Amino acid sequence: MDRKSQGISFRLNVPSLQIAQGEKIALIGESGCGKSTLLDILAFISQPSQIGAFRFRPVNTGEPIDVGHFWARRKLNRLGELRKRHIGYVMQTGGLLPYLTVRDNMSLSRNVLGLRDAGVVEQLARELGIARHLDKLPETLSTGERQRVAIGRALAHEPSIVIADEPTASVDPFAAEKIMSLFIGLAEERNITVIVASHAWRHIKRLGLRRLAHHTRRSKDGRTTETVVNG
Amino acid sequence: MRLLKVFRLATRDYAHEWQMSGCFVLALAAVLGPMLVLFGLKFGVVGGMLDQLIEDPANREIRPVGSGRYTAAWLTKLRQRPDVAFVVPRTRSIAATLQLKSDRASRIINAEMIPSDNKDPLLETVRGRANGLKRIVLSRGAAEKLKVEPGDVIDGSLARRFRGRHERVHLPLEVVGIAPARAFSRDGAFVDVLLLEALEDFRDGHAVPALGWSGTEPPAQRTYPGFRLYAHSIYDVPGLERLFREAGIDVRTRSADIELVMKMDRNLSAIYWAIAIIGLIGFSLSLGASLWANVDRKRKELSVLRLVGFRTGDIIWFPMVQAFYTAILGWTLAVVLYRLAAWAINDMLGDQLADGQAVCVLLPEHYLWSLAVTTAAAVLAAALAGMRSARIEPSEGLREI
Repeated sequence: MDRKSQGISFRLNVPSLQIAQGEKIALIGESGCGKSTLLDILAFISQPSQIGAFRFRPVNTGEPIDVGHFWARRKLNRLGELRKRHIGYVMQTGGLLPYLTVRDNMSLSRNVLGLRDAGVVEQLARELGIARHLDKLPETLSTGERQRVAIGRALAHEPSIVIADEPTASVDPFAAEKIMSLFIGLAEERNITVIVASHAWRHIKRLGLRRLAHHTRRSKDGRTTETVVNG
Repeated sequence: MRLLKVFRLATRDYAHEWQMSGCFVLALAAVLGPMLVLFGLKFGVVGGMLDQLIEDPANREIRPVGSGRYTAAWLTKLRQRPDVAFVVPRTRSIAATLQLKSDRASRIINAEMIPSDNKDPLLETVRGRANGLKRIVLSRGAAEKLKVEPGDVIDGSLARRFRGRHERVHLPLEVVGIAPARAFSRDGAFVDVLLLEALEDFRDGHAVPALGWSGTEPPAQRTYPGFRLYAHSIYDVPGLERLFREAGIDVRTRSADIELVMKMDRNLSAIYWAIAIIGLIGFSLSLGASLWANVDRKRKELSVLRLVGFRTGDIIWFPMVQAFYTAILGWTLAVVLYRLAAWAINDMLGDQLADGQAVCVLLPEHYLWSLAVTTAAAVLAAALAGMRSARIEPSEGLREI
């Protein structure tokens, strides 16, 4: 993946990366090292500039799907279908819709898939400790509570993968640890693959995540930065 | 199904941001309201003038100037034209008078006799018809002076010098109706052409056997010096006028007045449409710009929708649904404003108007048209904004910049 910004070009190089179903992965690094870019590629949101092979095997089906092929053919709605069925995404700042109640925000991902509620949202809200906020609008909640709602929304449609980009960056360290362990715990129970980006390893060290190795090189003139991720 | 969800989400967003939505609605009403008032005034003023022109039969009248020699056959041909509503011959005006006397008043009045028949446009409101030699419709002035009402019988008389002798004849006339004041302002009466011919014959020294008046044999071929003619509508007047001019008959009409009002209608319409089109363009641009900016403002929220799986085609509907609400609510507010303004204007000028006339008027179809045009403009502007929102990639809103 190549990217240019203000005269400096960035390159994210992933020679090989394999993530198993149910694995918990952590991407740790300073901002600007390419964490978010990798997450977007893994969530079928950003198109890699070059693809050797990019395969995704949904749970319970043997056949791997060739994501690289979809990108090459610009089948964006097919990628969208894959994303909405299999992936939950937790944004840095929640990304809740201000005009929907907590319940409706959490139901949104289920709703789009046409899934019945069947108590999943209530159950999740109880486990996340936000059950009493279900009928409130996000603006009345604290930042930490909003992040819990965002985690709830990412899990509500029972995806096989949840991708979280600095899910606790805007929360104080104490609350961050608590939210993170809650999140990982919920994912563990449901055997969901988790990929988390964070700049602070010590918050999540104890949660038993596999840390992806990466190193960042800067060229001598400072004009190109290359990050290589392996794992 | 997904579309319904977008509908619901757009509605929730619109209601949640009621202050912002209220601003859009106000902005629309601020443009549309004055435009409705303007059109109401144009339609009311010009429409009122046109109504007056059309309603007043005087505007359809074509009078020959001076006297000619018209035959009954020529007039019959004229009567058969589709653009002629009414035509009767006139006899010599000096012979067309009658002295009228009633038992109720001591005055004798000299009344002008006006030829008429069943379809007289001046007598549309009068029930009785002055058919035959014994029936008469009095002008309002004459009826008041004679203190008579329909059903009364009055005495008509006229005199002549015949073979050196002074002769006076009387005939009883039944008042079958009283013409409205504006039909004829002087003392007069509408009568059958037969009676006028009889009066003329008597004054010329001829015999009128039907009334038992003696005299010489009347001439075989009668000519008339003039006629009363009404065109079918005011729009037929210019054509008939041209026809008479070409035949060498000088006529007087009110075509200049009609032309003036029609010209005014055209000019006011042109001005109005210029303002309306500029207003509509301005409104569409401002609505389009604000919707466009709105898409920018909502980038993050729209990309969240993309992220949870709404397709690009669904997202286009988001601004369109909201623009639709703005159009409906803005139009409603504009109509309320218009009704208030129209009521105030009509109330203010009410004393100067005839009953049932208004300065500021809109017909139901005008309301519908304005609603249709407003909705179309708003949804079109929103569609452009929607195309823009459809291009939002799900990654765009994920991170705060």
